[in-house]
Amino acid sequence: MSIIKVKNLKKYYKVHEKEPGLKGSIKSLFSRKYKEVKAVNNISFEVKEGELVGFIGPNGAGKTTTLKCLSGLLYPTSGTVEVLGFTPWDRKAAFQKQFSLVMGQKNQLWWDLPPIETFILNKEIYEIPDNQYQKILKKLVKLLDVQKILNIQVRKLSLGQRMKCELIAALIHNPKVLFLDEPTIGLDVVMQKTVRDFIKDYNKQFKSTILLTSHYMGDVKKLAKRVIIIDSGTLLFDGNLQDVIDRFARNKIISLVFSKEINQRELAEFGDVREYQYPKARINVPRNQAAKKASDLLDKFPVADLVIEEPPIEAIIREVFTGKMKSSKKR
Amino acid sequence: MSFKKYITAAKISWENGFIYRLNFIMWRVRSVIQIITIYFLWLAITTKNPNSFGYDQVTLLTYVLGTSLMRAVVFSSRSIDAQREISSGDLNNYLIKPLNYFKYWLFRDFADKALNIVFSLIEIIILFFIFRPSLFFQTNILTLVQFLLLSGLAMIMYFYFSFIISMTTFWYPESNGWPQRFLIFTVLEFLSGGLFPLDILPKPIFNIVNLLPSAHFLFTPLQVYLGRISGSQIFFSAGNMLLWTVLLWALAKFMWHKGLKIYGAYGR
Repeated sequence: MSIIKVKNLKKYYKVHEKEPGLKGSIKSLFSRKYKEVKAVNNISFEVKEGELVGFIGPNGAGKTTTLKCLSGLLYPTSGTVEVLGFTPWDRKAAFQKQFSLVMGQKNQLWWDLPPIETFILNKEIYEIPDNQYQKILKKLVKLLDVQKILNIQVRKLSLGQRMKCELIAALIHNPKVLFLDEPTIGLDVVMQKTVRDFIKDYNKQFKSTILLTSHYMGDVKKLAKRVIIIDSGTLLFDGNLQDVIDRFARNKIISLVFSKEINQRELAEFGDVREYQYPKARINVPRNQAAKKASDLLDKFPVADLVIEEPPIEAIIREVFTGKMKSSKKR
Repeated sequence: MSFKKYITAAKISWENGFIYRLNFIMWRVRSVIQIITIYFLWLAITTKNPNSFGYDQVTLLTYVLGTSLMRAVVFSSRSIDAQREISSGDLNNYLIKPLNYFKYWLFRDFADKALNIVFSLIEIIILFFIFRPSLFFQTNILTLVQFLLLSGLAMIMYFYFSFIISMTTFWYPESNGWPQRFLIFTVLEFLSGGLFPLDILPKPIFNIVNLLPSAHFLFTPLQVYLGRISGSQIFFSAGNMLLWTVLLWALAKFMWHKGLKIYGAYGR
């Protein structure tokens, strides 16, 4: 059963355009030119209960705007959205008690008080019974390992510790639907992994439906089977991450280690040489010829080691944005 | 409808206030200095002209000190932070929760006012024993009750008034709400009777000014305390205040709904 239904969602903004410089500023005092920005332009998708979906797109693609419409923060220009059977922007308490939105760059914790105070306030706001609150808090504190910092002023915490506490504050009412907007932004690799693992565990343990946006492909790759790719407000792809790879990864990478120095020019006949520094080399070869090329390479060169790899997911997505899909859209 | 969440918000608001110990002390010291300077200024004026503007010295000094106390109570507000939250997009945090934003700030404001009242009273009692000024003490219980009721109404009225200013930020998010607030505050200082009692204005002007909501923030409750208006006049003023409260409340609600439609939920 679909728990999130988005149909023909559009959100247009009017933004004021200022000519550069002081002259432009003075001009804009008297008359302002407005431009319409199509932040989200006719997007439709559905998400089933318990699914964890990655929402990918470059900056300004419309990811956050979509999440804001889904959370009821924005009224859309047109289209319909249904989350848990509610229209989000009606902002019904019954709906609000069942979902949560975490924005990596917006805080809800009280800056000058320890995080536990915000949790207590949220307990009251969401009208959570005592025993349930204690149970969930205990579980979350354990999952994120924050027992020691619950009573320390938020301003004294590190970014990573704060993000963990933000997550607890957002999850203390055990939401069925969770929107995560760049939850790992600014965190170091270790903390990114912690948060990532937590999201995965949370999805499993609490069976919640999660929609996640991230710049870090690592997040998406690790967490989501299904991805929705959007750019300039339109949906480019909706399906399995593996399908994106199959469809858009034209190449595979062959990594080689040579036992003797070779002529680089000869190597170039096999594919696009990305890197050559004796004894190592990396070349891109067309996907369907990878096996054949590998065997030819073994025949021709003194190879000590050879590995065939998928290109990094970042490269594939870049491909999606820069070329292929745009041209296929024009068709 | 549970109020527990709002009471918790008020409590956390206090906790938060006490964190800033230095701010807290500075702010109390400032209020004491203000009271002392105003007192001596008007003491000097009224000693030279004992019957200034139709007020005798004791009444006028009571009025002037009364305004500084009333100002601390009526005009004090945490909810001015709402304009920053609208402008910065921090409002998002509240909009996604089962929480009434008005009630949330109303409770926090009243928590703040309660704190203000307690400290102001302590300071005034101390100052009273130091300077032993001759002040007017209202002894009529009914009048005191009327004064307290009208003061309470003035606070609610001011709450919506101030919220309306905050909500202009929906339309001008760049300005953070401060230009509007500064302008209105400057006018308000005068129109609320904060600089002098309004009834020393020429009668025709006073009659108009007295109909505006601003007159009821400081001037009207103090006139009741001083026993300068009574009976039908109080009734008329109270009616006027109630009418304004309803109007301001309705306008605030209207602006809230309109504002949310164009709210950009800024920030990521």
